[in-house]
Order: sequence, then structure tokens, then C-alpha cells
Amino acid sequence: MTAPICVRCVLPHAPPDILLDAEGVCNICRNFEAEERAAASDDRGLLETDFLKILDKHRGKQEYDCLCMLSGGKDSTAALYYVKEKYKLNPLVFTFNQGFVPEEHLASAQKTVDKLKVDWIYFQTPFMKDMFRKIVQTRSKVVICGICSLWYMLKTYEIAAQFNVPIIISGWTKGQTTGSSRSVLSKCACDQNPDEFKAMTAATKDFMEKHVKTDPKYKDFPMSMADVMQTAKTKYKSKAVVLSPHWFVPGGPEEYVPVIQEKLGWDYPERSYPKKSTNCDLNFVASKLAVKNFGYSHYHIEMSNMIRLGVVTREEALEHLKMDYGEEVLGDILAKLDSRGMV
Amino acid sequence: MYVLGLSCYYHDSCAVLLKDGVVVAAAQEERFNRDKYSPVFPIQAVNYCFQEAGITIYDVDEVAFYEKMFLKFERSMLSHILGYPFTLRNFIDTVPLWLKDRLAVPYYVEEELRFKKPLWFVKHHLSHASSSFFASPFPRAAFLTVDGVGEYACASWGVAEGSSITLRKELHYPHSLGLLYSIVTAYLGYRVFSGEGKVMALAELGEPTYLDQFRRIVDIRDDGSFSLNLDYFAFNRGDKMHNRRFEALFGPARQENAELDDRHRAIACSLQRITEEILLKMARHVHKQTGEEYLCLAGGVFLNVTANSRIRNETPFRDVFIQPSAGDAGAALGAAAYVSHTMLGVPRAAPLRSCALGGQYTTRQIEVVLRNKRTKYRTVDPAALVDEIADRLAAGKVVGWFQGRMEFGPRALGNRSILAHPGSPDVKERLNLVIKHREPYRPFAASVLREHVEDWFEGIGDSPFMLEVGRLRVDKQGRIPAVTHANQTSRIQTLTREENGIYYDLVAAFHARTGLPMVLNTSFNEDEPIVRTPAEALRCYEESGMDCLVMENLLIER
Repeated sequence: MTAPICVRCVLPHAPPDILLDAEGVCNICRNFEAEERAAASDDRGLLETDFLKILDKHRGKQEYDCLCMLSGGKDSTAALYYVKEKYKLNPLVFTFNQGFVPEEHLASAQKTVDKLKVDWIYFQTPFMKDMFRKIVQTRSKVVICGICSLWYMLKTYEIAAQFNVPIIISGWTKGQTTGSSRSVLSKCACDQNPDEFKAMTAATKDFMEKHVKTDPKYKDFPMSMADVMQTAKTKYKSKAVVLSPHWFVPGGPEEYVPVIQEKLGWDYPERSYPKKSTNCDLNFVASKLAVKNFGYSHYHIEMSNMIRLGVVTREEALEHLKMDYGEEVLGDILAKLDSRGMV
Repeated sequence: MYVLGLSCYYHDSCAVLLKDGVVVAAAQEERFNRDKYSPVFPIQAVNYCFQEAGITIYDVDEVAFYEKMFLKFERSMLSHILGYPFTLRNFIDTVPLWLKDRLAVPYYVEEELRFKKPLWFVKHHLSHASSSFFASPFPRAAFLTVDGVGEYACASWGVAEGSSITLRKELHYPHSLGLLYSIVTAYLGYRVFSGEGKVMALAELGEPTYLDQFRRIVDIRDDGSFSLNLDYFAFNRGDKMHNRRFEALFGPARQENAELDDRHRAIACSLQRITEEILLKMARHVHKQTGEEYLCLAGGVFLNVTANSRIRNETPFRDVFIQPSAGDAGAALGAAAYVSHTMLGVPRAAPLRSCALGGQYTTRQIEVVLRNKRTKYRTVDPAALVDEIADRLAAGKVVGWFQGRMEFGPRALGNRSILAHPGSPDVKERLNLVIKHREPYRPFAASVLREHVEDWFEGIGDSPFMLEVGRLRVDKQGRIPAVTHANQTSRIQTLTREENGIYYDLVAAFHARTGLPMVLNTSFNEDEPIVRTPAEALRCYEESGMDCLVMENLLIER
């Protein structure tokens, strides 16, 4: 029997962290509602002018004004486009490939950097493959994307430090941050730890303790996002802040996708999960496992935030989150991890 | 060339963006922070303007502010010094405001917007004059501006031609018609800024039996200039701006929410007549002095629709243009227009024909709100929409009407409006008491098909911005009680197909059903700023007694 889903967002009843009340509304939606009601009258949210204030503090002081994380997807492509063309910064671009980014996405990233004439660092490594394999084969509950993002962010901070770049620009959507505008600006979205991530965070910690800490190959691997930020600060001496332009402007993909389609010739990839995304192939596996283990994935959390913020409808979110891709997709990816049939 | 105009730190803070002299976007901060008449730096309005134009501050060439803050500071300090020691308390209260905000405009513009060039500071009444003349269709005209107070000026007149504006005369503080109106508004127990319209409505219920008393406190000369007898006022001397002598003359002040009696109505009526007398004399004098055929009006006092109509009908001017956002929000537009046209030589653009200068929402964006709020709605074919809504209006239903871009200025002109049957005898009371929660005597305005306005009303022609009244023709009296005031006048917005699109079609469809070429139109709000977003409209609809809500072509019913 599948758990009931919140009537407002797309999170299921998943005790002890996500609980639906008698009206079928989850505690995360209730908390959001209460926060909105209690928001100070002078809390104007994040404005584009706030973003420009931060950019202007650092503009022109280094060879590169910022480091843009580019996956080739719509959100990071639009972020890069706006940073270069609208906010008139000189960005260094960084694309990370842990071995599962489809060629189609990489070609899209290549086309974007070529059109925008920006410097690009492309980083590819099979370093994490053993870890991914272990997650699947040990049937750990850890969310693959959570682990991967630790490594990705650490590399990003390392490069930011190497080039003395003060700002890291991500393409994170409004749904990929939580908390008040003040907390986002002061701590950056990496440092958020909302309730709906608690179970996933605990699974990460458990996997790290059992399998990563004990593996000599991964002795320097960060244990958490807090660990990433601490390393960035102490080892790399990086004070870079991570920001996304999408947090500061109203609207969502319906506004910026037509722009990048027209200006950069960008298009949706043939396959990706969730629908209308440009995520690496591991997401098919990661999301499937997350839903199996927790009842929901990190994309359910993001989409739920987007619903609460009025960017998408619940119906659209449910449609995007449908796992109606064929078994062969999953099989191909698992084969790369020598784990066919294990999910 | 982009010029950003700003007004703030008193009331009606606002941002306006001009591109090559044409208004691209304009909005008041109150619509964003939901604080009526908000005085704060209009940061959200600025962000809206930039997003509407698809630009950032880096694309902005000039920033214009709607007054000269140091001149105003000088006047304020002089007033405090001259009134010492009675002004000490107000001085202590006011100085921090000056130091923190009002004198720090360049700092805030640089800090908040990252605009690093020098700003243009345009004299307050020049901003008002520009806001009207440059928006008008006239190649040359006289202008008259009247408000509370700018730097020193409380009224001014002059002439304008092409891109040049010349101030000829000013009337200086404390002799201010706007202040007088506000002082009496407060005396009658209403709040300044929001209460003046209530006093104007109240005026039509009374008799002008206090004219003699007013003449003792206002010395009016033939040219419309006047002096306030300062023995009756207490400027900068406390919370009230009238004193004991004033109360000895007019009787005790009314407390907020106290019962209204004939004395209050008579005082309001007398004030209105005195106001009209001054304005008429001023306008006639300006005509005599300039010989111009056309007159442009601006300043908060010209939100007084009765006075406006009398100026149009009782002065020799061939035509009169009134800035739709006549108050200080419009002055932001004027400052930007003055810098564009007069200082930088950008050729004048086409006249302002529409106030739809605010944000717009797509059907999809509205649907996201409705679906996520789990609100049942129906998509209606646009062609069938006007018929369906006209049927409902004809059946006496009250309709929330949310279409296109939000209006700039204080009036809802059919984009963020509540609509009803003007012929319904009980709709006025229902709207005032149940939906808008306001005084039962206040009249509602009518949106009238332009081609029918003269059939129904006298003394009115084009009134696209709802800034004038018409007198109901005798043969029509009693047919539209919901929009007829006690003196048989109605505040009117005239509609044309070209300017008002679907709203015109709706009223035409209503006309076909009822024989009335108009609907009742009141602002879409409930004791708050007019709604801006679909979520605000939905909340207002749910909390009020409206029968249905239309947002673009989506229909929400109870």
C-alpha cells in the first residue's frame, strides 16, 4: 500500500519526519504556512537588486568575477547566461562529470560556453564509481546524489580558491533552497538542514561511517556538506559564497527556458529524471532507491518547495516525478556499476 | 535611454521607468509591501520596473528624484526655528527621519541600487507639472499644480511648450490648500491621506453653512492666491495641526469613528466649496495670465473630482488634462519625464492613454496559484467570457475583475476592479458594508461607454482616468442609484474599445442586457492597497462577499 501524499505538495506521509494531519496536509507545508504568516512585514524576500549588491562587491577585483557551475541543464545554463549577459560579469565555468553525465548534456554545455565565449574547466573523474557501486550493492539507504554533491561542491570550492573567485554561481532553483531570505544570504543554500532531509542525512552519515571512512581510497572524502564548507574555509582558504540568480527573480523556467532556447539554441535532452530536467544518469537510480527507501526523493522535496513558492502546480510536479521510464534505462546504468538487476 | 524616477519618504513612494521618454513601467511600493501609502524606499517597485523592461540598473542612464531634499529640509528647519519653543517636540521627532532617510537619498540609491552617477533632483512642483504636461496630448499648455507642500511651494503655475517647462509663480508654505484640506480631514476624525476622499463624499451630504468661518481662516484673493490665518493653526506644534481657536470657531473636533452629524457635514461641504472657489480662481487667473488654450493639472489636490469638473466646465480653457496619478507617485513620473525631455532633450512621446503600467500575470501563473490553493475554477472561452460575466452583473452579482496589467495611480480602472450593477438599489450598501467595509455614505464610480456618456450625464466628456464627475441628466435620475451621489453626480471613467479592450466589451455586453451603458467600478481591495497578484485577489475574494472572481479567462465561483 502506498503512503498518502500531502494534498498541497508531493511529499508522502513518512514518519517520523513527514506527517500528514487530518486534512491531509504535511507538517512541512504547515510550517511553511506558519513562517509565511509570521514573516516580518519588512521581509521583502530576495530581490534582484540584492543579488547585484553582492555581485558588485566583487566585480572586477579578480581575473574572474565568479565561478559558474554548469551541468548543461536549463537552470545552470540560464544562470550562466544571465550572469554573463545581464549582470555583465566575467565568469569562469566549471562542469563536473563523475562518469555518468550523458554526452548530450556535455555537448549542450560545450555549445553554451562556446556561444558565450567564456573560459571553461571540464572535470571528469571515475573516482566515485566504486562508491556508487557500493551504495547499490550494499543496498544502503544513502541518496547517491547527496554523496555526489559533496564531492562536486568540494571540487567547486577548490577551483574557486585556485582562481581566487569570490562567488560561486549555481543554477539551483527556488525549490533548492529553504529558509528565510536572510538565512539564505548569510549562510548560502549549502548550509540548510530542513526537516524533510533528516532521514536522508542520517542515511548519509551511516554510510559514511561504515563504508567511506574505512576505505583508504576515500580518506579525504568529506563526510557532510558542513565538512565541505569547513574544508573550503580551512584548507582552501575560500570565502566564496554560493548563490543562484533564480532565487532573486520572480518566475521560473517558463520565463528563462525560452530565452536560452532563443539565445543559445538550448533544448531539453532526450531523457532525464525528473521530466524536463537535465540531470545525470545516476538520478534514475538514485531517485528510484530514494523512493524505495524513504517514500520520496530529493526531487520530491524540491518540487514541493516549488509548489509552495507558486512556481509549479502540484499536478505538474506529480507528472514530472512519474517514474515511467523503462527498465532498460535503469538496467544500462546499473550495468555500468556492475549491478544489473539490483534495484 | 532609460530614466528611473523615484519618490519616497513621505507617502506614495513609487518607481517609474522611462525608455526614450515612454513610460515602460510604474508602480507604487504599497502594492508590494501592502502598506497603504507606504513611504519607504521603493525597492520592490524598482525591481518590478527593471523586470518589466528586462534590464538591470546597469542599463539605466539617469535616476531622477521628485524633489529637492535640501530645500525641503531648509524649509522644515526654518519652520521649526520660527515656531520655537512650541515646535521643539516635533523637531525632536522629525530630525532623525531627515538624517536617516530623507537627506540620505543619494546614499540609498547607491547602496540599494548600485547606481553610482549623480542623481537629478527636480523641484517638487516642477515634477508635478512635468508629470501632467508630458503625459498630456497638448503641444503647449498652461499648468497648475496644487498639493500639501513640496520644498517651499504648495502651489505653482506656469507654461510649458515642447520640452520646456517654465514656472511663473509659486505659493509658499504654510499657505497650502492641500494642508488645509488635510487639517480639516483630521479635524473631522479621518486619517490624513486616506480620509480626504471621505470628506469630499461627505461634503455632498451637507450645506455650506460654515463658509463665513472658513473665510476667517483663509483670505482668498482674486487671483486664487490665499493666506491661511495662522492664528487658527498649529503647524509643527504637536499631533494636531489645528488649535483651540480653530475649535472655538468650528466646534470640537470629531473623534475617529464618532457619530457624524450635520455640523460635520456642513464643515466638509464648506471646505469643499472653499477649495473649489480657490481652484477656480487660480485656474481663471492662469488663463488670464498665459492666454493658453489648454491646462494641465497635477498635485494631490487634483484627486478632487468635483473641483476638477468645475475647472473643466467653468474656466475658459478649451481642454484640461489631469495627471491620473496626481499625487506624489505621479511626481516620480514627472521627475523622470523632466530629466528625459527637458534636461536631456529626448523628444516627447505619445500622450499617456492608459494607466496599465504595472505587472501582469499569465493564465498559467494564475492557474498555479488556483491549483495550489485547491480553488475550483473554470476556464471560459475569452469570447464567451464577457457574455457570461455580463449576465451575472445583470443578475445583480458582484464580480472581482482581474485583467492585464495593474493600474498605476490611486484608481482601479478595470484591471483590478470590483464590478456591480449600477442600477441595483441595495448594491451600494452591500458593497460598502459587507465587501469593502467602509462608510455607508461613500459613493461608487461608474465606468461608462464613452459614446453614451453625454446621454446620461451633463458636464463631462472624456474622463478615461476617473478624475471627474458628471451630473446625471434629469430624465435618468433614479436609474443608477448605486453610482449616484446625493447631489445627483457620479464619478466617471469613460471607456473606449481602443483603450479598454475586454473591459469595454464587458460593459457593452452589460448595456445590451440592461440598457445601462455602464457598470459600477470600485477598487479591488478591502481596506488595504489595491490587489496586485492573483493570490492577493483570491484572498480578498475569499474574505469578502463577492459572488465570483474573474482572473484573465479563469472564473472562480462560490
